[in-house]
Amino acid sequence: MSNNKVSRRQFLSYTLTGVGGFMAAGMLMPMVRFAVDPVLQKKEGGDFVLTEKKIADITEKPERVDFTFEQVDAWYKSDITNAAWVYKEGDEIIALSPVCKHLGCTVSWEGDPAHKNQFFCPCHSGRYEKNGKNVPKTPPLGPLDQYEVRDNDGFLEIGKAIPNTLA
Amino acid sequence: MHWNGKDSAVFQAQKEFIDTAVVPLIQIDGSDDGFRFAASAADFTLSLANVIENQFKGRIILFPSFSYTKSQDKQAVFKEWQEELNKASFKHIFFVTSDRDWSTIGEEQNIIWIPSVPLDSMDQKMRNSVLEDQLRQLIPIFAKKWAN
Repeated sequence: MSNNKVSRRQFLSYTLTGVGGFMAAGMLMPMVRFAVDPVLQKKEGGDFVLTEKKIADITEKPERVDFTFEQVDAWYKSDITNAAWVYKEGDEIIALSPVCKHLGCTVSWEGDPAHKNQFFCPCHSGRYEKNGKNVPKTPPLGPLDQYEVRDNDGFLEIGKAIPNTLA
Repeated sequence: MHWNGKDSAVFQAQKEFIDTAVVPLIQIDGSDDGFRFAASAADFTLSLANVIENQFKGRIILFPSFSYTKSQDKQAVFKEWQEELNKASFKHIFFVTSDRDWSTIGEEQNIIWIPSVPLDSMDQKMRNSVLEDQLRQLIPIFAKKWAN
């Protein structure tokens, strides 16, 4: 029995180690949590938005597809509707952003009867070829942005805008 | 572009491209029978103005609405708005309204009169498609005025 007796000295050292351990953990935990925080962040903007467009209905002629997502500004939520010009190139689906690279107007497909097979911006007569490449000598200085796309059970999903890869 | 600090800085740097002001004209009506109609018309006009802004973002500045009551001398205030905006050297100033009183003044003053469509009972999708339809009719009007 006497072997198991805890002396006053031992008791104090156990308690102090225990309490000290808790305090150290209490300080370190938040620090570790802060350090790894970027990894735990929820990814925004990478989400895909489901549209009502059937993949099978997409043709070689660019067609306007609207998609709506919820935007949160602080405590204010609103539905934002964006559009994309979607067409098929072989088996690949291309979705181009309708926002003109000049000053941000909305371009339309064959919006100018004088220029068939091109996107046209009515603001300053900017033009783009079907693949989004800006026509030289018109105001835009770069190609139209492209959206990531994927197939969800036969329906088109549109993701985030990626800079067009055309030179 | 909107009438805010950031966009107006762009405007002042890019005056050769951004040359058009768009001002919604809104009637305020406090009477029992006009109240709801005026509010609905204002909703329509302002929504349409926003759609116009979205389409022609790079060429227009959408101003806050010019609101007036029935008894105000709106012609006089209208002139003052025009003079003030001319100081900013806009080449074109368009006014958008669904108030019938302006329809007689019409085209040469650049007042674009669009009869109001009651949007109240429509859901977001329906609203968008109605406004898109209206916008499609407006694009040639804008293009024609810009061409002159």
